[in-house]
Amino acid sequence: MKRWIAIAAVIAVAAVLPLLLNPTGYWIRILTFTLLFAAMAQVWNIIGGLANQTSLGHAAFFGIGAYTSTILLLKFGLSPWIGMFAGGLLGGIAALIIAVPTMRLQGHYFALATLAFGEVMRVIANVWTPLTGGPGGLSVPFMPPSVAAYSFKQLLPHAYIALIALIVVTFIFEAIRRGAMGYRLRAIKENAAAAEVIGIDTTKVKLQTAVISGVLMAMLGTLYAQVAVFFDPDTVFSAASISIRVALIAILGGVGTAIGPILGALFIIPVEELMNDLFSASAAGLSQLIFGVILIAVILWRPRGFITVFDAMVARLSGRAGS
Amino acid sequence: MTILDVRGLSKRFGGLQALSDVTFSVPKGQIVGLIGPNGAGKTTFFSTLVGLIRPDSGSVTLDGTSLVGLKPHKVAALGMTKTFQNVALFAESSVLDNVLTAGLLRHDVETARAEALRCLDRVGLRSVAHKLAGNLSFPERARVELARALCTGPKVLLLDEVMAALNPVEMQEIMDLIRSLRDDGITLLVVEHHMRAIMTICDRIVVLNFGRLLADGTPEQVANDPQVVEAYLGRSMEARA
Repeated sequence: MKRWIAIAAVIAVAAVLPLLLNPTGYWIRILTFTLLFAAMAQVWNIIGGLANQTSLGHAAFFGIGAYTSTILLLKFGLSPWIGMFAGGLLGGIAALIIAVPTMRLQGHYFALATLAFGEVMRVIANVWTPLTGGPGGLSVPFMPPSVAAYSFKQLLPHAYIALIALIVVTFIFEAIRRGAMGYRLRAIKENAAAAEVIGIDTTKVKLQTAVISGVLMAMLGTLYAQVAVFFDPDTVFSAASISIRVALIAILGGVGTAIGPILGALFIIPVEELMNDLFSASAAGLSQLIFGVILIAVILWRPRGFITVFDAMVARLSGRAGS
Repeated sequence: MTILDVRGLSKRFGGLQALSDVTFSVPKGQIVGLIGPNGAGKTTFFSTLVGLIRPDSGSVTLDGTSLVGLKPHKVAALGMTKTFQNVALFAESSVLDNVLTAGLLRHDVETARAEALRCLDRVGLRSVAHKLAGNLSFPERARVELARALCTGPKVLLLDEVMAALNPVEMQEIMDLIRSLRDDGITLLVVEHHMRAIMTICDRIVVLNFGRLLADGTPEQVANDPQVVEAYLGRSMEARA
């Protein structure tokens, strides 16, 4: 009960926050991307945290989602709301195709295989010019603003859509974690042979996880395309700024926990923006260097993520309330 | 009625013939002991029965259904599972979660939880249900293994040295438990090095040596079999016990 009140309070605060920001300004943009990246990291967390398979190829599904809805909108005038589900379907198929051969790989080998898959998608998008527009990228055509057309004059609705997406994927993550599938995934993670012997179809569970994560990541790709308005293969299929970043957000925040990716995104996205803002004028590349140093410091300080700081704070607060 | 039928089971690992044409059948509701010197192929035999190791030839039939080519989770669903000799628990999970996960084979989470608590009760570990499995002592972990295997709702249960490192009191408890499982209609195959225990609880004993079936009979027959005595370094079974 207390837990639900706390969750409701957090959601209420998050729902009011965008209203306090200038609806056309800089901070609402950062907030929107923070929420979106938190959702992406949460989706990564399903496979990276629960199945313990460190995917470095989630940009593949993300880019598939961005391209699918945008191409359907450009060629057929199909609303991105519908395109989002088409992208989800393709993202799920792509996840299945990559999962079948990589499923048996562990640790670094799985990471490298998925990284390669993301890069393959980037190359394909770059060369398949008739469909994707090639390296020139795609612009999301301007539609008369309406909810049905997924077109808005301001960023504010995008911030709310990103917030809803984050809430939805977080609930999906928690439902999996607490449900039968969560138990099965933990069993596979800790001892795959024992998991099989007590009746877990380890192949099926791993494939299901990969597909769920792929579908959701592709759907978030559509959200990104609608906010960004323009994108090219090197942005949406980027190993560094999508695949590795979402993994980093989840790991820095606390992998395998529902709050981890949210804490991670709340830190990484604004700090990265701030660094760019402060230093990009004075020396190109300096902001990335400083950002990297901050990341290293944080990982040394809290190897298990911000979640440990958060847990300690909750423990202190509830201890004080109890005394 | 035969519940488990093994026909001509063979497995070779490189130059080692781990199992060689093993044939025997187990009637429903028996406790069958599987003994043999170290390296006789007992653990390989169990792993082959549940589908962790694919045999080169031969067949295994459980309650009329052929298990040839089936994966371990299918074998578990059909009603046969095993414990692991070296103890293969989910160390980062609680004792309850270890057992509950096995219950998910036939139940939803809530029913599996109730079932898991019942299984933990039977092995006498309900009081440590919320401890991390990795933090238990070795004998306790072996009992969690047993509870977890039990929670899959098996017809045939393969126990690989669940009595290792137990004191006499604990050993008696496990022996009583094994008998009560048999009384519930579960058929048990038990690998154990403790001869007195195995002679006491087993209805029948099968002896493996160098992957080959050496003897098959009542505890008395097996203990007096000259081949068996020789396999155990020429010492009589009474002397070992």
